[in-house]
Amino acid sequence: MKLTIDETRCKGCNLCTKVCPYKIFVEGKKPNLRGIVVPDLDRPERCANCRLQRLYGRTLCGVCQLTCPDQAIHWEDEQPYEPMKVAIEY
Amino acid sequence: MTFEDWFRVDRLPHIYCAGCGNGTVINCTLAAVDEMGWNKKETVFVSGIGCSSRAPGYIMTDSLHTTHGRALAFATGVKLANPALNIVVFTGDGDLAAIGGNHFIHACRRNIDITVVCMNNQIYGMTGGQGSPTTPIGCLSTTTPYGSAEPAFDLCELAIAAGANYVARWTSYHVKEFERAVKAGLETPGFSFIEALVQCPTYFGRRNKFKEVTDQVEYLKTHAILRAKRDRLIEKGERIPDDMFIIGELARRNRPAMGVKL
Repeated sequence: MKLTIDETRCKGCNLCTKVCPYKIFVEGKKPNLRGIVVPDLDRPERCANCRLQRLYGRTLCGVCQLTCPDQAIHWEDEQPYEPMKVAIEY
Repeated sequence: MTFEDWFRVDRLPHIYCAGCGNGTVINCTLAAVDEMGWNKKETVFVSGIGCSSRAPGYIMTDSLHTTHGRALAFATGVKLANPALNIVVFTGDGDLAAIGGNHFIHACRRNIDITVVCMNNQIYGMTGGQGSPTTPIGCLSTTTPYGSAEPAFDLCELAIAAGANYVARWTSYHVKEFERAVKAGLETPGFSFIEALVQCPTYFGRRNKFKEVTDQVEYLKTHAILRAKRDRLIEKGERIPDDMFIIGELARRNRPAMGVKL
């Protein structure tokens, strides 16, 4: 699973930076096309929910998703990791 | 199924200001409703007028957006007309405490089987920041420019005195606890009242020295005291600061209820 912020819904209140126990959300630097400073993700692979949601079959922490007043935080399905394929030319 | 399936996605993003706590309360309430496993066709959300009362408009179920303060009166009608329906009422402090106070105490007295979620932002947000019955002493608002001089209303104490079956108070910082409290309220037969203190960055926070949204959430976090801890401190004879407010489950009892599904 992959943690994502929906930029069409986020209003830049930075509440997620306060509640995340891993401090994955950090305050953004640049405004996006709508003029809203969306938080950045600092190494989102640390998120317990991303790693273990499937294994346990339930949402483990999910505080950011519950707290986000604009319903902008989601977990998306991700393709399984594939080692980089290198084409060797002779 | 998660709580996100209950949203009316075509209406999102909602019109609440950036950082408004009402969105958080809607998330937690829907998560609790989702855990109950209720059907969308058998759940009705009722609301009055105000910022908080826009909430049912973003939820994919039948809903009633009623006149100011009369949400509980309409909810009573819905429940008694069809006791098989599950009723959740979203209401604000101006809606419930000021104009609808009369309906509130009588709904508690009758102990109707509904769940009331009150988003208490301590101000009238939608009409421009006027002082409400729950504005704490000394807080600035449009109608109290030198600080509110009147004592604030304690809605939970009122509900307990009037006879509600389940009463709890949490804040928009304590999301998990609030979700659990709403679930307990939904499970309890009879009137359940859950108050959530929420931040209002645009009208309350800006006038009361909370520059950022997170400042006000930090205030809610640090000034909340659990009821058990308050009792312990009183036992020890220590003084509790005046600006602290009590959170936690405040009442759970089993008075005869009205309109319970058979």
